[in-house]
Amino acid sequence: MKPLLSFMKKEYSEAARTGKLIILLLLFVLFGIMNPAIAKLTPWLMEMYEDTMAGSGLVFTNIQVDAMTSWTQFFKNIPMALIAFVLIFSDIFTKEYKSGTLLLVLTKGLSRYKVVLAKTVLLLSLWTFGYGLCYIITYGYNAYFWDNGIAHNLFHAAAAWWLFGVWVICLIVMFSSLLRNSAGVSLCAGGTVLLAYFVGMLPKVRTYTPTMLLDITSLLSGAERTDTYMKAVIITVAACAVCIFVSIPVINKKQF
Amino acid sequence: MEVLAIQNLKKRFGSKVVLCGLDLSVPEHSIFGFIGKNGAGKTTTMKAIVGLLKPDSGEISVMGEKVHFGQTNTNRYIGYLPDVPEFYSYMTPPEYLKLCGEVSRMDKADIVTRSKELLELVGLGQERHRIKGFSRGMKQRLGIAQALLNRPKLLICDEPTSALDPAGRKEILDILLAVREQTTVLFSTHILSDVERICTEAAFLNDGKIAMQGTIAELRNKRSSDGFIIETVQKEAADTLIKAFGDLRRTEQNELVFHGSEDRFFSIMQYVAENRISVQKIEQIEPTLESLFLEVTK
Repeated sequence: MKPLLSFMKKEYSEAARTGKLIILLLLFVLFGIMNPAIAKLTPWLMEMYEDTMAGSGLVFTNIQVDAMTSWTQFFKNIPMALIAFVLIFSDIFTKEYKSGTLLLVLTKGLSRYKVVLAKTVLLLSLWTFGYGLCYIITYGYNAYFWDNGIAHNLFHAAAAWWLFGVWVICLIVMFSSLLRNSAGVSLCAGGTVLLAYFVGMLPKVRTYTPTMLLDITSLLSGAERTDTYMKAVIITVAACAVCIFVSIPVINKKQF
Repeated sequence: MEVLAIQNLKKRFGSKVVLCGLDLSVPEHSIFGFIGKNGAGKTTTMKAIVGLLKPDSGEISVMGEKVHFGQTNTNRYIGYLPDVPEFYSYMTPPEYLKLCGEVSRMDKADIVTRSKELLELVGLGQERHRIKGFSRGMKQRLGIAQALLNRPKLLICDEPTSALDPAGRKEILDILLAVREQTTVLFSTHILSDVERICTEAAFLNDGKIAMQGTIAELRNKRSSDGFIIETVQKEAADTLIKAFGDLRRTEQNELVFHGSEDRFFSIMQYVAENRISVQKIEQIEPTLESLFLEVTK
């Protein structure tokens, strides 16, 4: 346990000292503020452009914004935050392979699976913390300006998107155990998501794919019930477990 | 007792055969020079010893225990310094050694005292900066400190002096000499003067096998002589000798070098005596590891 805790401590101190933590913090805080800000500014922006738009035949009447506008914005912005997260951390394993920093701790007796565990815990905790922060900020502003009650199944919808992020992180971990460069890791993880997206376009399998978790507009509006997402949730959780369980034997067999 | 024993080690990368039946034994408390050309397979052998590479066949044992690829318990006996040691650059040396100590399950108090002691030994005792700005030599020294942290029975250093300036090389060699009491040192190199300076034993690696192994004196004795230098008093005498013996080579006006069999040498001496050629100096050329290395790797 001691080696695992020490290595985890090293991971957090690395994230802090290399500036990744602060970038992540700023990113999620910025996104958290941006969602209600954009919603709040929309009518003002529309008014500003009213004259220009009127010239081209578009007329705005009584623009209504509420918490729903802000939450819609939240779910539009979160993919960008996830992409940034992936780009920041896609080299978390490969950097250590390339530089050879892992060699010394491995020859000191650190079990290889502990490397996978420590890095997975770091990624999941930072994603949860950042995502949670973004959610809380948006929730707070929305409650102040409007009423969050308008959005149905809000927590479930947010949790679904969080789980999707967890799946992407598990993909990063798995591809990092297989590949040696970060570009390959990002591409393969992105490719898998894209593949799941295309597979999800088939009506018969739609509810089984992890990308179903991204389709939460109808859940927010109350048109869809949370039960509809159950299959996708189970499949995604299983996929996450598979990714981690595959990573461990792969990294155990890796030659340095 | 043997600290390290390797039997019939084979390893290939794709179609490239790196090791083909390597046998090696390293006795306790020796400083063992592992000599070979660049690309001879020194690093591959060392990585196989610490379980980072999987050999195709063969057996490695450290302190009598078999080495397993991946997770090997034998690493508790080993301190390893790779050819280009890389550390977490945002840490300071004591922080890095603390991580290493914790990973190898050392006591908290022991980590503190041992780190202090080793950083003093390698001349980084006063260093408070992060590893980021360290020179190559400083990194090598920190590498030795981390390798010695858990009091290993075998210290493996992969070309520790290759990229260093003469001062840096001397510092590393002095450290290796100083730790001889505590541990056995196996270090790979292609700098033969380093081997002659500190090693008690050495082995030549060539074509994936050990071509020769023994104490430094034994290795030198493998070649009784590298030839002779004959210096005549007059230039004309040297001319006469060259005319009579085609295998003599002129290095200076009246200095000739001879490489060849003893019989041939005695016939030259006989000619010198019969023709009353005045000789200023006859000197046997001392065999060097370098000439042996060149012969072995030919």
